[in-house]
Amino acid sequence: MLWPMNSALPAPGDAIVVHDLTKLFRDKAAVDHVSFRVARGRFFGFLGPNGAGKSTTIKMLTGLLRPTAGAASIEGLDLRTRLLDIKRVIGVLPEELPLYERLSGEEYLHFAGRMYGLAREETRGRTTELLEFLSLADERSKLIVDYSHGMKKKIALAAALIHNPRVLFLDEPLNGIDPVSGRVVTDLLRRLAQKGVTLFFTSHVLDVVERLCDEVAVIDRGRIVAQGTLDEIRAQREVGRDATLEDVFLKLVAADVTREDLSWIG
Amino acid sequence: MDRLIALVLLRLKLEVRALSRARERAIGLLLMAPGFLMFAAAGSFVVFFGVRGLMRAAPATLLPALSAAATGLGLFWVLSPLLTGVAFSEAHDVSRLLHFPIPPATLAVSSLLSNVAQPMTVAALPILLSLALALAGVGPRLPAAFAAALLGLLSVLAAAQVAGLLIHGLARRRRFRDLALFLGLGFGFVLSLGPVLLLSAGPSAMRALARAVLDTPLFALSPFAWGVRAAVHAARGEWLPFAANAGAAGLAVACAVAAATTLIHRIYRGEVDLGEAGVGPGATARMWLPGALGALVEKDLRMTWRDPALKATMLMGLVGPLLFLVFLSQARAHGTPSTGFLMLSALVGISAFGANAFSLERRGVALLLAFPVERWRILVGKNVGAMVLRLPSLLVLMAAGAFLVPVVLLPAAATIAVVTLLLAAAVDNFPSVLFPTTAPGPGRNPYTGAAAGSRGLAGALLGLVLMAVALLMSSPFVFLAWLPLLMERPWLWVVSLPLALAGAAAVYAMLVSGAGRVLQRREPEVLERILGEE
Repeated sequence: MLWPMNSALPAPGDAIVVHDLTKLFRDKAAVDHVSFRVARGRFFGFLGPNGAGKSTTIKMLTGLLRPTAGAASIEGLDLRTRLLDIKRVIGVLPEELPLYERLSGEEYLHFAGRMYGLAREETRGRTTELLEFLSLADERSKLIVDYSHGMKKKIALAAALIHNPRVLFLDEPLNGIDPVSGRVVTDLLRRLAQKGVTLFFTSHVLDVVERLCDEVAVIDRGRIVAQGTLDEIRAQREVGRDATLEDVFLKLVAADVTREDLSWIG
Repeated sequence: MDRLIALVLLRLKLEVRALSRARERAIGLLLMAPGFLMFAAAGSFVVFFGVRGLMRAAPATLLPALSAAATGLGLFWVLSPLLTGVAFSEAHDVSRLLHFPIPPATLAVSSLLSNVAQPMTVAALPILLSLALALAGVGPRLPAAFAAALLGLLSVLAAAQVAGLLIHGLARRRRFRDLALFLGLGFGFVLSLGPVLLLSAGPSAMRALARAVLDTPLFALSPFAWGVRAAVHAARGEWLPFAANAGAAGLAVACAVAAATTLIHRIYRGEVDLGEAGVGPGATARMWLPGALGALVEKDLRMTWRDPALKATMLMGLVGPLLFLVFLSQARAHGTPSTGFLMLSALVGISAFGANAFSLERRGVALLLAFPVERWRILVGKNVGAMVLRLPSLLVLMAAGAFLVPVVLLPAAATIAVVTLLLAAAVDNFPSVLFPTTAPGPGRNPYTGAAAGSRGLAGALLGLVLMAVALLMSSPFVFLAWLPLLMERPWLWVVSLPLALAGAAAVYAMLVSGAGRVLQRREPEVLERILGEE
């Protein structure tokens, strides 16, 4: 039986369904019986402190890590049996950027397009458009090894978009990107969501998450501690309607941010 | 002084911690320890009896011979990061300490003193002691001779530190780093061929070289030789030349420390203009080969050509067949070396074994396997890339073969090479998938190899077994290509060569499809292993 519980079966409108997903490293649970659903076309924020299990979850959902237990489906495709089909419909921007640094940015996008099965002319057109859009056109011939971190992030994002994915996994996409490019990227992501692309998004910049995401899940020490729209989470946690996502987040992960002054300062 | 002690202790603590935290490094050091002991013991033996022998046989040559040897060894030590890819004594990465209010001179001296605990430095100490013993015997002049020899080692360490800082500074520009790596590997390779060429030139050439080295006064001016020269003078009781040479060696150390201090100032604080970052190819990018398979092959070829270490390795691969061809041409005096030539073709082919389908990818394997391409297709792409990179060797072989053997043998030789290439690449997919090697982590040296460990050893053993399997699987098809020569029926090649190629292609298809299935099944585990996320 592929799905252990009927409730875990993907419904027609579901883009991502995760049920009891668990990953153990040696005996330590990095992700501990995590379950959630993301409807198609939603902008889903996946939040948590460092080491909470965000990247591990993304790696499992994109086939880079095998779950120790649990099940998941992307666009109705079972992660355990349809991994290659899943890779056809998703785009991934990982936190660590494993790019082919001895290719130029343009060559890399040509390569990515061909690997996704795009025709030569289609790849060329989309490459030019992406490079222009992400302000990389002047750097198209530079080897990626000579790119700045922000440029690497943009070229990796371009490669994740070139095949028009239905689900996009973005692990800290705005990390290291300048404010102008950050605005371009967030506007683009918003438009993608409007066009029905499902976005699974992690970020530590909580005001950006608050502005962009329709729904969030908060993971702490491998477990989901809250999930829903911001209003739903505010209601669940009994915080005021004017509480920001940051206030809610700090309450959820039980972070004590009050500190006394350092004894020798001042 | 407190800061100096703290810095030296920090370096030692970091090195011990690096060993205790990384099991592979600790195992690697344990495996290397007998090697260092043997190096120290053998070095001490050779130096002691060599120097004693020279003192008896030709005392006049002792000083020039030791000066030349000290200069050669000193240069090799200093240039070791470029020539061998491994620094015998490492320059401390002072860039992380620059935000502390520490004078650069303190940083330079602390880094130099920390090198005393490096394995190669420790291994050199008994050798220097045996040199002093050989020169002065057990007597009152021994301490002075040993101290002078130590001063010589210190000058090498100080110069190595300057070279390390220079390389580190230049490496901040990718183009310099690439160029230095490529030239260094090439120069090291040419040097390694030196003894072979010298041996082939015969004893008269070696005698002439030795005479030229001993006659030149240049080595007396080498700072690496001053310590050893002081040791010789101390042993002879010639105190004025001892003082002059020891003083000069001390001055050389001081100058090197001053140079290191200046370099820390100028390179790490950005006071040296190293030029603009290099730009890549200017023309519009194209992926010429069709389909995902073509893109994979083309990507590998472009990356190999642009990666200095891979390019150097590929070019060095051309020399192997050339050396064998020299031997074959010598064998030609005793008849046509047809069988030897065909064996050489098989050797070129089997060289595809050990290429490791994912070695070029390093951490990019996560990217490669993120693409929705059938896994057998990815393996074929990697195999074709590896085979294309061996084509130059094959072409060299064919071109030289045209002069060495009857032309009619060339198609058979090419077939044998292609058959063994195909099957070696196909079998090699299995260790790549079953025993993947951990790639260096982000920000780590991308050229470091596999970590030593039990799995590495098991992988190596499996590799040996599978190489034998590849040879065994190739043998029927090699035999088919060989048969007409054995039977002295050259017309049979019209049938046997296409048969050999078709058979090998069929076996290749079966093997690669099997390896593709294994990869698909084990994909997350392969990724976990390569990315070190277990």
